[in-house]
Amino acid sequence: MRWIEKKWVSVSLLWIAVLCIWQLGAVVYGPDVIPGPWSTLKGGQELLADGTLTKYIGISFYRVLVGWVLGSLVAIPVGLIIGKVNVIRIFAEPFLNFIRFIPPIAFITLFLVWFGIGEQSKIALIMYATFFIVVLNILTGVMSVEEDKIRSARSMGASEWQILLHVIVPATIPYIFTGVRIAMGTSYMAIIGAEMIASNEGVGYLIWNSRLFFRTDWIFVGLFCLGFMGFFTDRLLGWFGKKVLFRYGVVSVAGKRR
Amino acid sequence: MTLLAKQNAIHIEQLRKSYSEPSVGDVHYIIKDVDLVIKGGEFFILLGPSGCGKSTLLNMIAGFVSKSGGNLRVNDVEVNKPGRDRAVVFQQADSSLFPWLTVRQNVEFGLRMKKTPKEEQRLISDRYIRLVGLTGHEEKFPKELSGGMKQRVQLARVLANDPAILLMDEPFGALDAMTRRTMQKELVNIWRETHKTVIFVTHDIQEALLLGERIGIMSVGPSSNITDIYDNSLSYPRDVASQQFYNLYNTIQGHFEE
Ligand SMILES: Nc1ncnc2c1ncn2[C@@H]1O[C@H](COP(=O)(O)OP(=O)(O)OP(=O)(O)O)[C@@H](O)[C@H]1O
Ligand SMILES: [Mg+2]
Repeated sequence: MRWIEKKWVSVSLLWIAVLCIWQLGAVVYGPDVIPGPWSTLKGGQELLADGTLTKYIGISFYRVLVGWVLGSLVAIPVGLIIGKVNVIRIFAEPFLNFIRFIPPIAFITLFLVWFGIGEQSKIALIMYATFFIVVLNILTGVMSVEEDKIRSARSMGASEWQILLHVIVPATIPYIFTGVRIAMGTSYMAIIGAEMIASNEGVGYLIWNSRLFFRTDWIFVGLFCLGFMGFFTDRLLGWFGKKVLFRYGVVSVAGKRR
Repeated sequence: MTLLAKQNAIHIEQLRKSYSEPSVGDVHYIIKDVDLVIKGGEFFILLGPSGCGKSTLLNMIAGFVSKSGGNLRVNDVEVNKPGRDRAVVFQQADSSLFPWLTVRQNVEFGLRMKKTPKEEQRLISDRYIRLVGLTGHEEKFPKELSGGMKQRVQLARVLANDPAILLMDEPFGALDAMTRRTMQKELVNIWRETHKTVIFVTHDIQEALLLGERIGIMSVGPSSNITDIYDNSLSYPRDVASQQFYNLYNTIQGHFEE
């Protein structure tokens, strides 16, 4: 039975099994409740043909990317400074631990009121979803930099600024990276929520709007798109981490083999 | 010699350390009323049982830990922070080396902080990497090295900053007997070449006798103190099998058995 241990064999078997169960569900419950693989594919083709799907994917992706990049860019220096300066940390920590329990979706209405119905409110929401996760991860990272590293740098004449730049930042990179990677996931959740409630474009809108026409197959298409978008960006990030940030001890979780 | 001895000397008077609040009535001292003068260029050993406060005293000289009373002067200047003149070799190379830097970059760290010209950094790092016998391993990362090699990197890294005083906290404690022996020999050679003041912490009597010119014995804590100082004028390299070595060993051994 050696052949079953080959990775591609077991993986394709698994996928075939999944497709079979899915098809079975479609047969048992009817295509309106569970659209089968084939009708989902047809639905997808339909949406691709008039260009809506590519447009929606592009829009959702653009929102996530802009909000996530901006959120991370703000979060990284803020997290480092909160972590490094004790006085600031003492004040900021309870606040951060309070905020982190409020999911981005809960803010949708408020953000619409504050930032308007346009792109700003969506990007602000993604920034919110990104910011706190990244900051909290960086805090953990800064707190776990070994004292000996900071001490040795200090006795080799490094200034506080140099210690931040040449010891704390590199030592914290794995934590920054993990934070940014998790934040990517929450960003997708946030954007779908926002698009369902307040948008007339995007994958979230597609999923929400399909209910009006009772097109469950379109909903399935939307779900798959989300899965793939998340999967590919995460893989891309993981690959980037492994290649570029290798020396800082970043390992790609997905690619890790035992 | 007298001029050298005056330079880089360490004067300790009635030095105390307590971690408890001064306002609390019953103050618990880790070390209490330590008096010690270490001459410039001397190889001094701090020997004592685990938990007696050797690291505490060393960290106070390094400027990492503040004193609770008494005087501590290096080169006639009161110590209140770490300085380039006092380099520390830590027990754990893993926690003190920078894993994101290569051997060479680790060794050049202090020079880079000081903004020494690149070519000069290179010359200096080459010299000390050669001195500790790591030529050919310059481009490796710490995790690619053995425990003994990492300790050599630590040694080269501090020597590259040309500190007047070397503070070493059980640096060979984690090494196997053979590597340890080699490192001890190399350390003696480096000290004899560079005339630095060395304070070396250990709880191994044989190591103490192999290395130092004087051995300060710390009593069991709390309120630990340096109770006795033994002179060891045996010539280098020292012979463990010699009668004098054996006698000295027994004297010190006897001290601890009392
Ligand atoms: N930050 C701290 N806060 C409170 N107590 C401390 C602190 N650091 C050390 N101590 C205490 O001071 C005492 C001496 O510790 P120290 O590390 O100096 O011992 P040591 O002689 O180096 O022991 P070892 O040989 O095991 O390394 C111990 O009782 C320890 O519990
Ligand atoms: Mg110790």
